[in-house]
Amino acid sequence: MVNRLNCKTIEILLVEDNPGDVRLTKEALKEGKVKNKLYVAEDGEDALAFLRRQGRYAQAPRPDLILLDLNLPKKTGREVLEEIKDDPDLKRIPVVILTVSKDEQDILKSYNLHANCYITKPVDLEKFIEVVKSIEDFWLTVVMLPPR
Amino acid sequence: MEVTFLIVISALVQLIAAFFALRLIKATGLSRAWVLIAAALCVMALRRFLAIEMVSLWLFGVAPAPGLLDETLVLATSLLMLAGVLSISPLFFTIKQAAEVLQRSKDELEMLVRQRTEELREANARLAVELDERRQAEYRLAQYAEELKRSNAELEQFAYVASHDLQEPLRMVASFTQLLAKRYRGKLDQDADEFINFAVDGANRMQALINDLLAFSRVATRGQPFTPTDCNAVFDQALANLTAALEENQAVVTHDPLPTVEADGRQLVQLFQNLIGNALKFRGLDPPRVHLWAEPRDRDWVFAVSDNGIGIPKEHQERIFTIFQRLHRRSDFPGTGLGLALCKKIVERHGGRIWVESELGQGSTFYFTIPRREGTEHGEPTELQDH
Repeated sequence: MVNRLNCKTIEILLVEDNPGDVRLTKEALKEGKVKNKLYVAEDGEDALAFLRRQGRYAQAPRPDLILLDLNLPKKTGREVLEEIKDDPDLKRIPVVILTVSKDEQDILKSYNLHANCYITKPVDLEKFIEVVKSIEDFWLTVVMLPPR
Repeated sequence: MEVTFLIVISALVQLIAAFFALRLIKATGLSRAWVLIAAALCVMALRRFLAIEMVSLWLFGVAPAPGLLDETLVLATSLLMLAGVLSISPLFFTIKQAAEVLQRSKDELEMLVRQRTEELREANARLAVELDERRQAEYRLAQYAEELKRSNAELEQFAYVASHDLQEPLRMVASFTQLLAKRYRGKLDQDADEFINFAVDGANRMQALINDLLAFSRVATRGQPFTPTDCNAVFDQALANLTAALEENQAVVTHDPLPTVEADGRQLVQLFQNLIGNALKFRGLDPPRVHLWAEPRDRDWVFAVSDNGIGIPKEHQERIFTIFQRLHRRSDFPGTGLGLALCKKIVERHGGRIWVESELGQGSTFYFTIPRREGTEHGEPTELQDH
C-alpha cells in the first residue's frame, strides 16, 4: 500500500466533453491540498483509448481516479463505465460518476455497473468546488487505494 | 176447372211478388220503382182474375174474351214494368259508382301503403347513415383522445428533457458568473460588482425555476404506481423533511388519525410537505399552528390542512393553483410560484381535486380529495421510502 500524500503527484482522468466543466474542475482542483495532474478525455472512445494506452495515448499514465460524466459523445459514460468494470486490468481504478443528472434510473444503473460513487454536479460554484474538494479529499487522502 | 185453378195460383204468386216488391221500398229507398213494379204485378194479377169465366160473368155479364181490355191491361203492365225498371236503374248506377269509389280508395290505400313503405325505407336509410356518422364521430373522438394523450405525454417528456438539458448551459452561466464574482469582486468598479450580482441572482432564480419545472413534469413522467399508503407515515415523513423550517418558525403541526389510501407515497409526501410548508411560509405574526385532518365524504377522503397564516383574498383563490402564479413580491415571500400547481397536479393524478377556503388575515384551509377504493382502508400499507 502506498500513501499517495507523501508520494508523487496524483493522476486524475476527467472524462468530460464540456470545456466549461473541465475548466471549473481544474479551478476547483487548484484549491485542493493534494498535488495532482489532470488529464482530460473529451469523449468515451478517447477515455478508453487513454486507459488502454492506444494510439496517441501510448505513453499515458495509469490514473489513480476517474471522474466520469454520463452524457458523452460517441460512447456514453455508462458504456465507458461498463467497459472499465469489465476489464480485469482497469476495474480496480475507482470511478466517480460526476454528472448533472439526478435521474433515479441513471443512479441505479451506474451503481449496478459498479460505479464507486455517484455525484450530482451542483449548480452553485462554491458547492461545486466543495464537492470536487471532497472527492479529492475522500478518494485521494482518506481511502486506501489499490497499488498501481 | 184445372185452368181456373192454375190462373188463381199464378195471380196469387203475382200478388205475393207485388207484396215483396213493396217491402223492398224501405230496404233500398227506391220507393217509386218498387211501387211501380208492385203495381205492374197487381195489374197482371187482375188480368189473371179477369181471365176466369165466373169472375168475368159476375163482373161484366159476358164471357171472358181476349180483346181490348186484356190488351190494355198487358200494355199497362208493360209500361209499369218499364217505368219500374227505369226507376231501379239509378241503384245500379249507384252500385257501380260505389264499386268505383271502393276501387279508388283501395288504390289510394295501396299507394299510401307503398308511400309509407318507401318513407320507412328512407327513414331506415337515414338512420343507417346517422348511425354510421355517429360511429365515425365516436371513432374520431377516440382518435382525438388518443392524440391528446400522446401529445400530453410528449409535452411532459418535452418539459422534462427541456428542463433537464437547460441545466447544463445554466450551470455554466451560474458557475462562471460566480467565479467572476469570487475572483474580481472589489477589483473592478462598483457597477461591475452590481452587474455580477444581478447575473448571479438571475442564474440562481432560473435554476430554481428549472428545478421546479422538472419536479412538475416528473409528477407525470416519473410517477410510481398507486399502492396502499398510510397517511400517518406520509405526515411524519413530510414533517421530517421540514424540520429546519419548523424549528425556524417555532411552528406546531398536529394531525388527527389519518386513513390509508391508494396513492403514490412519495408524491403524497411532496403534497403534504408543500401544503404544510406554505402554511409556515405565509405565516402571520403568531407562531404558525397547522392542523391536518381527514374525513370520508361520498366516495372520497377529504383531507384538510388548516393554518393561522395571513390568508388569501377571495379573488385570488383560484389563481394560486396556476403554474408560476405568485401573489406576493419576491422580496416578501421568495419562491417560484410552482408549489400549489405541483400540489394540484399530484392531486389530479390521484383522481382528486384541490381547493382553498380562506379569508384575508383569518388563516387558510386547503382541502384536497383522494378517492377511496375498496379494501384499502384496512389494507396493509406499504413502507414509505425515505428520500
